[in-house]
Amino acid sequence: MNVAPAIMDFPDRLSPMVVKELRQGLRTRLFGGVLLTLHIMLVLLTLMSGGAENTAAVSGWFDGIVTLVLCIIMPLRGFSAVADEIKSGTLDMLALTRLSAGRIIFGKWAAIASQSLLLMLSILPYVVARFVFGGLDLFGEIAALFYKWLAGVVIAAVIVALSTQRQFWLRTAVIFLVMTHMGTRAASSSMFTYFTKLGGPSSSLLLVGMAAWAIFFFLSLAATRIAPSASLLSVVKRSVHFVMILSLLLLGWLTGSAADIGLIAAGVLTLLMIDALTERVNEAPSVYAAFYQRGWPGRVALWLLAPGWVTGFLYSALLVALVAVFVGWTLSVEEAKLVAVSAAGTWMIAALVQLFSTRKSRDLLPPFIIFWLIVNVMIAILGIPLMASLSMRSATAWFTCALPQFLSSGYKTAQAGDKAALLDFGMLSSCIWPTVLLIAAVFAWRHARGARQEGWRMIHGKNGGTAD
Amino acid sequence: MDRSQPAVVVEDLHRTFGTLKAVDGVSFSIDHGRVVGFVGANGAGKTTTMRIMATLDSPGSGRVCMGGHNVVHHPAKVRRLLGWMPDSFGTYEHMTVLEYLDFYARALGFKGADRLRRIQEVMDFTDLTPLADRMSNKMSKGQTQRLCLGRALLHDPQILILDEPAAGLDPKARVELKNLIRILAQEGKTILISSHILSELGEMCDSLLFIDKGRIVHHGDAESMVRGTETAGETLVNVQIAGEPAKLIEWALTAPLIKVEEETKRGARLRIQSTDDATLAGVLRRMIQDGLPVLDYHREERRLEDAFIDMLGQIDRNTFKAQPPEGLPQKNTEDAK
Repeated sequence: MNVAPAIMDFPDRLSPMVVKELRQGLRTRLFGGVLLTLHIMLVLLTLMSGGAENTAAVSGWFDGIVTLVLCIIMPLRGFSAVADEIKSGTLDMLALTRLSAGRIIFGKWAAIASQSLLLMLSILPYVVARFVFGGLDLFGEIAALFYKWLAGVVIAAVIVALSTQRQFWLRTAVIFLVMTHMGTRAASSSMFTYFTKLGGPSSSLLLVGMAAWAIFFFLSLAATRIAPSASLLSVVKRSVHFVMILSLLLLGWLTGSAADIGLIAAGVLTLLMIDALTERVNEAPSVYAAFYQRGWPGRVALWLLAPGWVTGFLYSALLVALVAVFVGWTLSVEEAKLVAVSAAGTWMIAALVQLFSTRKSRDLLPPFIIFWLIVNVMIAILGIPLMASLSMRSATAWFTCALPQFLSSGYKTAQAGDKAALLDFGMLSSCIWPTVLLIAAVFAWRHARGARQEGWRMIHGKNGGTAD
Repeated sequence: MDRSQPAVVVEDLHRTFGTLKAVDGVSFSIDHGRVVGFVGANGAGKTTTMRIMATLDSPGSGRVCMGGHNVVHHPAKVRRLLGWMPDSFGTYEHMTVLEYLDFYARALGFKGADRLRRIQEVMDFTDLTPLADRMSNKMSKGQTQRLCLGRALLHDPQILILDEPAAGLDPKARVELKNLIRILAQEGKTILISSHILSELGEMCDSLLFIDKGRIVHHGDAESMVRGTETAGETLVNVQIAGEPAKLIEWALTAPLIKVEEETKRGARLRIQSTDDATLAGVLRRMIQDGLPVLDYHREERRLEDAFIDMLGQIDRNTFKAQPPEGLPQKNTEDAK
């Protein structure tokens, strides 16, 4: 048998992972079923949209079905994308090929994105038909369809990132919370408000830019979780994230919308911190050797860009300082303090992870998520009712000083005369968490000293002095 | 690949998971073109050692070099030399045999006609050509195992690590696997195979590595292993009787100089504390005199399984004398005692 005719369906230039995922994905019953059902429903809706009296109802159904397919059903196909590879042992086999962790993850996501794109393109004729029969705004509808696809591929990136976690319940809980949060708060969030205010092509460009960064963030987060210990993913991703934060701050300064941009930057900062603070300390000498090879700039970069949460802590401190200074300079010192306290909330979770679960966990992200869930549930059950009762009595919720995540809510509802004191107390009590992390970081850094020394010897030989 | 050095060198390898010492000072080396069996009970440290060798895990301490390249310093170079077949064969849903091999060939960097030629060669070697259009997850275990061996061979690696390749295979598939390994060995590939089926490893391998509780306890050929655990002055005899074997066991338990090694379907394997022919004949005579309906009575060679079990027993009693690992200093062996 000659294999050639049977296997030339995809060109060589396509990533092997994308080819594999597309071959598998297009054959699944789910994809076929969704495609068929979607088209049956859209044909019916298009036929129904002829009458002017039911246009709004039909549009609602049309949007609902398309959103369901593009933003929920298709992204959820990534739910077990990596977890299944881990469970069946095929991830090890992939690791031994020339595919990097980044390409594996990108392939998983790109297959979902391209299948969603296929579905979106197949919907276009119905949009045109509805324009012809129903007199809709064609370009507006096409733009809306594109944004739904864009939202869908960002959600797919989140879900693919989560699929690196083996625990089914953890993935389900986080997806449920994220979906609920997005559903209830997306429309009112500062990001959307800001984009709406901008209007026109610049808002579209920014939205696409933010979506592209979000996809990069979640895919690189996922790649870090499955990458071999000797990989240097942190250098690329931390550099990109740093540029992203700088661009946002610059944009805020240039457009004079520091308040909105500052809030967006603070949100982005939280995500970056989670990634940086949940990386395992790297003990592969070749990782450190790559820095030492580049002389003193490399040795300086090592402190901020080397893989692991220790350097991640320093990196996050640098970014927090940068955003806080920007907010303090453009808005107010109080706002800058709130940014710092909000960051301390993320450091608090990372410190809890270091204190209670590092020995048992190979990956620090699951314990981080668990502690984050516990803290938020505690706030919801105990904190919110307590604050509501204090608010009814017009009293300041001083207890929010103790919990950085809760301080901004306490600050907003505090009596005018108490605000400054509340913030200062909050700042003071929040200092405990970066201090705990700093102490843990010193120990972890010392623990990896052998690997750094070995990395140093790889470059400078045995008589080349010491790494630290 | 630098052929002046051994294909595989493992020196004082340690790996712990929490408080568990999975690998505790393992040292051995394997020369080019050798087929080595890696034997040990579940949890002995085989898979952890093999995963470190395959760059899938990091050593806690110690040095592992594959084809002259350190697995920690140059993992990418090691991967190019290495074919890895895990115990979970790992196939995909909705993917044919041909697509499966095509995917891995692409992932290994093969392009265009080169890729097709290599896939065809591997399919011919593993006899998968008639199954090219079969879904990869809908095949028998033997076929799946051949597919995974084919995948591991796509980039023509010089070193092969096969983790339990024969687990769960029927006898026909085992023979096929044995033949494939024999051909690969003739091509000069260095092969490390872990397995529980010791008799087959004895036939296939040039030498055997025995690991127990994370330490290498023996490295040598099958005969030296059998000899190493043999108790001097004893003979193993296989006896079959008509009727219930319980009668024979009962008799053996009361007889002097005789121990029951193992009960069999129609009798038992007995260990007689003598090598003298006259004594052995005397034992048979006594059996007949005591009314045992003996159908068969013959001297038996010690099996590798017996030697392994004996060795584990001797280790537990601290009486086992470990063989020095080939090509390495005595110090490492002493650690293993």
